[in-house]
Amino acid sequence: MSPVKPRRPLALAATALALALASTACAGGGSDSEDGVVELRYSWWGADDRHSTLQQVIDIFEAQNPDIRIVGDYTDWGSYWDKLATSTAAGDAPDIMMQEERYLREYGDRGALADLSELEGLDLSKVDPLVAESGDLDGVTYGIASGVNAYAILADPAAFEAAGVELPDDTTWTWEDYIALSAEITEASGGDIVGTQSMAYNESGFQIFARQHGENLYAEDGSLGFSEETLTAWFEMTQELLDNGGQPEASQSVEIEAGGPDQSVISAGTGAMAHFWTNQLGGITESSGSEIELLRYPGESTGDRTGMYFKPAMFYSVSAGSDHPEEAARFVDFMLNGTDAAELILSDLGLPANVDVRGHILSSLPPADERSAVFLSEIEGDIVDGNPPPPIGAGQVVEITKRVTDAMAFGDLTPEEAAQQWISEVESATGTQ
Amino acid sequence: MSALLQRGTRPASPAAPAAGRRRTAARGTGRRKRESLAAYGFLAPWFLGLALITAGPLLASLYFSFTDYNLIGDHEVIGWANYERMLDDARLHSALRVTFVYVFVSVPLQLALALALAMVLDRGVRGLALYRSVYYLPSLLGGSVAIAILWRQVFGAEGLVNQVLALFGVQGPGWVSHPDHALSTLIVLNVWTFGAPMVIFLAGLRQVPAMYYEAAAVDGAGPVHRFVHITLPMLTPIIFFNLVLQIINAFQTFTQAFIVSGGTGGPSDSTLFYTLYLYQEGFGAFHMGYASAMAWLLLMIIGGFTAVNFLASKFWVFYGD
Repeated sequence: MSPVKPRRPLALAATALALALASTACAGGGSDSEDGVVELRYSWWGADDRHSTLQQVIDIFEAQNPDIRIVGDYTDWGSYWDKLATSTAAGDAPDIMMQEERYLREYGDRGALADLSELEGLDLSKVDPLVAESGDLDGVTYGIASGVNAYAILADPAAFEAAGVELPDDTTWTWEDYIALSAEITEASGGDIVGTQSMAYNESGFQIFARQHGENLYAEDGSLGFSEETLTAWFEMTQELLDNGGQPEASQSVEIEAGGPDQSVISAGTGAMAHFWTNQLGGITESSGSEIELLRYPGESTGDRTGMYFKPAMFYSVSAGSDHPEEAARFVDFMLNGTDAAELILSDLGLPANVDVRGHILSSLPPADERSAVFLSEIEGDIVDGNPPPPIGAGQVVEITKRVTDAMAFGDLTPEEAAQQWISEVESATGTQ
Repeated sequence: MSALLQRGTRPASPAAPAAGRRRTAARGTGRRKRESLAAYGFLAPWFLGLALITAGPLLASLYFSFTDYNLIGDHEVIGWANYERMLDDARLHSALRVTFVYVFVSVPLQLALALALAMVLDRGVRGLALYRSVYYLPSLLGGSVAIAILWRQVFGAEGLVNQVLALFGVQGPGWVSHPDHALSTLIVLNVWTFGAPMVIFLAGLRQVPAMYYEAAAVDGAGPVHRFVHITLPMLTPIIFFNLVLQIINAFQTFTQAFIVSGGTGGPSDSTLFYTLYLYQEGFGAFHMGYASAMAWLLLMIIGGFTAVNFLASKFWVFYGD
């Protein structure tokens, strides 16, 4: 007995030390620190300018809410979804995250997102009715739109001028005009300036085209809402542009697409037109150094109906597993309804969804963002309706579209075969076979 | 262990041999016990890592391969459905084709280059240590993200390679952006990382007894004969070792293809390596169950190749005596 005794204090000390280490380790990894400050993680995707803007916004929020600390967690679009999926699977999803139409259902239906309408401190009453319910699925608000966006054509007047070609009248132009114009620019500039960047890599453009035919990309029940002929016609136009030189050849297109908006033909000054979202106008204008203009899609006046639509640019969502939903709701409210946040973000997350906030910043928008705001208000009257929410698996369509487009551009598929393959792959990805 | 006991018995005095041996034996087992305890203590972190980081996930993925686990929600056991899907998954077949081409082309080229350079360096070049390091460097960097990004730039349509070609009036294609060239570009990248097998070959060449060469020289054997009849046979164990290792590595190639193709495996799936497709299915399409099944198929493929290698080695690997 007695020889053991002297050792006890040492053992006790060791245990105490271990416990102390363990408890500090917990404090480091957990979201509550000792001073009562709640730590939240907020994740988004984007390019460098967005990262620095949002960090400034976070600083303002923290100054106004000393009891909350926001940790920014950001990456580019491509890695964002891999990272979000992995962290969600590990039960370590960010408290607040940016979501997107095509992924919202994937997370919402599987119980990973909180119902925003039930969170206190988050006022959803001022959101533009055009997108107010865009984040609702089966009566649950999984996301609230950060802003409004439209898919359109970006045109560089300087490139048109250099090629000696006039800008088209976008209220009347047809798809034939678009194709002929693109070829004309390439030819007139001796190939220095290409007419248009390939439009086939993003299914959002096809969605407009399908709507012009009285169809849609997805039907209300999540199945495909268009005919094979329509998609074939869509791919045929790209084939025509490849043949007549209106767009870069296949392998150049692959490199341009891989570079993202910063390396688009407009940003690089090597092309006259490209297809993008209106909130990307600011960034692309900056990298191009030219006064980029927005054009309506071709065929808006000649189709069965207009095809352009407003899209919720992104959603604010709160993780269902967040330990601090109330604080998270306060932050979302600050982002959605606060003028402080909007004055910095401007229209980078779409033209603000809160109509009061939108009115507040309109006068202070830089020229490019102002042009996109004006553009959106101009097309608003022509927009017929919104789109049904995309089905589960719609996130994979991005990649399928790229792959099928490549295969066609490299001559492995005809436009008909491309349409067939796209349909069968998307049906299998969205489980609507 | 026997060395320990021998050392323990040495100081025993010849006057009392029996008692001495007994006492030292007792002391020996005590120390042995303590030492093996210490050994296990030092090994514990590794065992823990093996259990938690390797064996745990390994077994979990075996289980998930029989479920429809989607990473976010609940899952159900669905039997062999994932494995059955493999039979008519066209992209899986194309990924297998790409991976096999990559392994069968890049590994032999890489080993041949490694051996050739090892032989040059073995002739006693001045500054051998420097050359060895320089050639070894790509092996350390080859699998890294930075090198893959560099590769994408160098082989881009406007990249360094095409700029050099342009000096000779040749208009090079977009090496990484054309389906006919993208895979070759990645093969070149892998061949370029020949440093690791080269260092091992170099060590192997040093082991070949000089007397064989002297004897052969006396008999009038030329360099080709000496290479075919002495160097190659003596090196077969090293070649075998490198072959097994590089095949296993090549099958698991991921980073290069992921970075160079921007994660798509494109253009037109021409760089869709098996592991890249596995990643896309698991983390892009949330088919984690299917991705787990794919991981097990890859394990079986690699295991199969390694087994065949070992069986075949009986016929061509020469272990000296």
